[in-house]
Amino acid sequence: MAIRTAETTLEAARTTTVRRKFSWTPYLFILPHLIFFAGFILWPFINGILISLQQYDYLRPQQNKFIGLQNYIDLFVPGTLIFSEFWDSLKNTAIFVVISVPALVIIPLLLAVLLNVKIPGRNIFRAIYFAPWVLSVSVVGLLWWWIFQSSGGLINYYLKDLGMITPRWLSSLPWAWIAILIATVWWTIGFNMIILLAALQDIPDQLYEAASLDGASPWQTFSRVTLPMLRPVLLFVVTITIIASFNLFGQPFLMTGGGPPQPDGTNATTPVMYRIYIQGFVRPLQGSAAAMSFVVAMIMVVVSYLNFKIFRQRENG
Amino acid sequence: MLYKLKRTAGIVMLMSMLIPSLAACGNSATPTTSTGGTTAETPTTGGGVMTGTISTGEMSTATTGTGVMTGTATSGEMMGTATTNASGGMTPTMSGVMTGTSTSGVMTGTTTTGGATGGFTSGGPITLPGNCANTSISYWTPLSGPDGQAMTALTDSFNKENPNVKVNITTGSFTDYNTQLGTAAASNTLPDIAIINEDQVATQAFRNVIRPIPDAAMSGIGVTAADYPAVAWGAGTVAGKQYAIPLSFVAMTMYYNEDMLKAAGISAPPTDKASFEAAAKAMTANGKNGFLLTTGFPVQQIFQTLLHQYGGTEFNSDGSKATWNSDAGVQALTWMQQASANYGQKNLEVDADLNAFKAGTVGMIWNGIWQLSSVTGSAVSFTGKAAPVPQIGTQPAVWAGGPLLTFTYTKNPDACKDTVGAMFYKYLIDHSVDWAKGGNIPANNKARASAAFQALPQANIGPSVANPVFPPAIPGIGDAFAPLGTQVGAVIAGTQTDIKKALDTAADQANTILTQNKTNYGSAPKQP
Repeated sequence: MAIRTAETTLEAARTTTVRRKFSWTPYLFILPHLIFFAGFILWPFINGILISLQQYDYLRPQQNKFIGLQNYIDLFVPGTLIFSEFWDSLKNTAIFVVISVPALVIIPLLLAVLLNVKIPGRNIFRAIYFAPWVLSVSVVGLLWWWIFQSSGGLINYYLKDLGMITPRWLSSLPWAWIAILIATVWWTIGFNMIILLAALQDIPDQLYEAASLDGASPWQTFSRVTLPMLRPVLLFVVTITIIASFNLFGQPFLMTGGGPPQPDGTNATTPVMYRIYIQGFVRPLQGSAAAMSFVVAMIMVVVSYLNFKIFRQRENG
Repeated sequence: MLYKLKRTAGIVMLMSMLIPSLAACGNSATPTTSTGGTTAETPTTGGGVMTGTISTGEMSTATTGTGVMTGTATSGEMMGTATTNASGGMTPTMSGVMTGTSTSGVMTGTTTTGGATGGFTSGGPITLPGNCANTSISYWTPLSGPDGQAMTALTDSFNKENPNVKVNITTGSFTDYNTQLGTAAASNTLPDIAIINEDQVATQAFRNVIRPIPDAAMSGIGVTAADYPAVAWGAGTVAGKQYAIPLSFVAMTMYYNEDMLKAAGISAPPTDKASFEAAAKAMTANGKNGFLLTTGFPVQQIFQTLLHQYGGTEFNSDGSKATWNSDAGVQALTWMQQASANYGQKNLEVDADLNAFKAGTVGMIWNGIWQLSSVTGSAVSFTGKAAPVPQIGTQPAVWAGGPLLTFTYTKNPDACKDTVGAMFYKYLIDHSVDWAKGGNIPANNKARASAAFQALPQANIGPSVANPVFPPAIPGIGDAFAPLGTQVGAVIAGTQTDIKKALDTAADQANTILTQNKTNYGSAPKQP
């Protein structure tokens, strides 16, 4: 009882102290960021929610009207056109996430381990692997569009010389996805590689020394020392890679045009971002597009949460 | 670095995609930025929207153009040549020359851009009020191919002849042009006048991107509905008001490798079903193909050509229902499926037909007339020539599209700018024949009837556009074609084998889109 009273008193004292010492200074310090945060993140976020609750087109304000959750409900009624358009494109994006994330984490990890060894010229290699990452998606898309051309393209030219099959990379399955995956891996591995490389360099040498004294094999060293030490950074890398893959848009837009076309009227490599773009800018039903964006955002939040949970479980286990 | 960081904030960025002001920033409001170099920091997703579509002449893929012109496609040939313009420099403009006598007249035309006069005039001159001196206006076009250079040349000569005013031309990216207009409208950075393609006029009118042609401008230009094929003029009529004036037509064209044709023992390009199939069959040998169809653009336009040749239409008269799943549609798509299987290759990507043609491995392809300069003449190492698309079905018809001239929406129209716009449009219409030398047919009846046009080798196909079939002038009609393109592509790819089902599926989806458009747009444009 006495203790509780003491605590309460202490709490009250603290509050008063804070109140008395209120000052604008800390707020002034964060003001520059706050302005940009409010202007470019908070307001768009709130406005996006408002738009998703309306029938909305920014060029026809007189037509805009509040329709509640109708835009969301429309996305969940099976058998409608918008249902199949949205979920099929989301499925396409999911396919890309599933095939791209392992490649975009494992390959950079191996590269980082290789480039962490003290060999001559390793900085040159680091630069080379990182270089494609600075290119814009239009350059990357056009480059690989040429390379993957079915006739006259670089890859099929050599495959033909080698007597191997020459797939229609950009217009048949599963090759279209493989082409997009290869282009994406080539384009973006540099970033994950640099992050993982920095993390590798943070692992204390003593751990490796101790491992070697204990007679650990290279594989044991990697799996028992390197990987566990990398776990926090790997969590970060996996999370941003999942988000990046969810945002797939430019590569299929430029390389496959969203195709190949499927008998059910869908296009096999049309990602959900492309669908949102069409819904919002071609149709133009921006309210519906905003609703689609929020549904995708929720899915990304859930996936990221699961990702964190799985990594944490491993930590505990 | 910035890019990745943006992507890490992807969830939030998603939201910002739908904010007009931000979208306008993230997007390229001006079409001039649509080059690779300027997009280095533009995220592919998240904040927005692609800016960098690479638009080169060879790749100008018209994703939306629609419309079919029926008429007599006579036999004959076209040949593209790079020509010298008035200023003496080499301009790789499209110079298409179509000729036709019912026998087998093979003619080669050489034309020039610039210099020549139109030979007809649409009315008296427009006088510029004294207070309007030195007015300059901005002008956008989606003509990103070789025709863009022809338009720039015409604009330059207008500016030269009218030193007291100025038209600043900007060429937008073909694929993103309509988005560019939309974002420009949102950010009040629209040009003063703009070219809009035939299937987009109604959409842009409903979205307040364009406004009805001002009365003064219309009377100054001096054209009326009587000067145009009814359907072409109708493409500019939205909810009873005239929003656009047709400039010219472009058509689906057959390109053929004359060396391969001759090697196969055929002397003249095919003009009908029997001769086309014989030629395609004869050239399909030794690893080469007689005829190629891709799984993407422009197979939908090829289907539309054949649909009309077999007597079908895309939509019913008021544009409320898709009707391509008719018997005519089935016949048209069946023919395409078989032609692809017999003479072509499966699963070709977009533009593979053009690439194969340039490589000399295919005898015949059908593509837009705008490809003329890239697959004929000195652009290829063999004799590449162009001819009208043969008549496969029971009546002549060929897909066509075309640019229309519009004034953009503004709350406070400026009389001076409108006058300059009218002067410029009058100049373009009066020089229809010069513009036609770039590989098209004038939309204006008087221009087509003029002695100057009659002197052009393509004069003989002029009569065929007297009654072209265009898509109905209702908003969002371009979007309603999307399911058709997908299904035609799937049939050619071989993933869909049931043709009736393919067309039914496309029609069902298009009907949903048509209904959705009707609810979305209403019956008439409403100004903000």
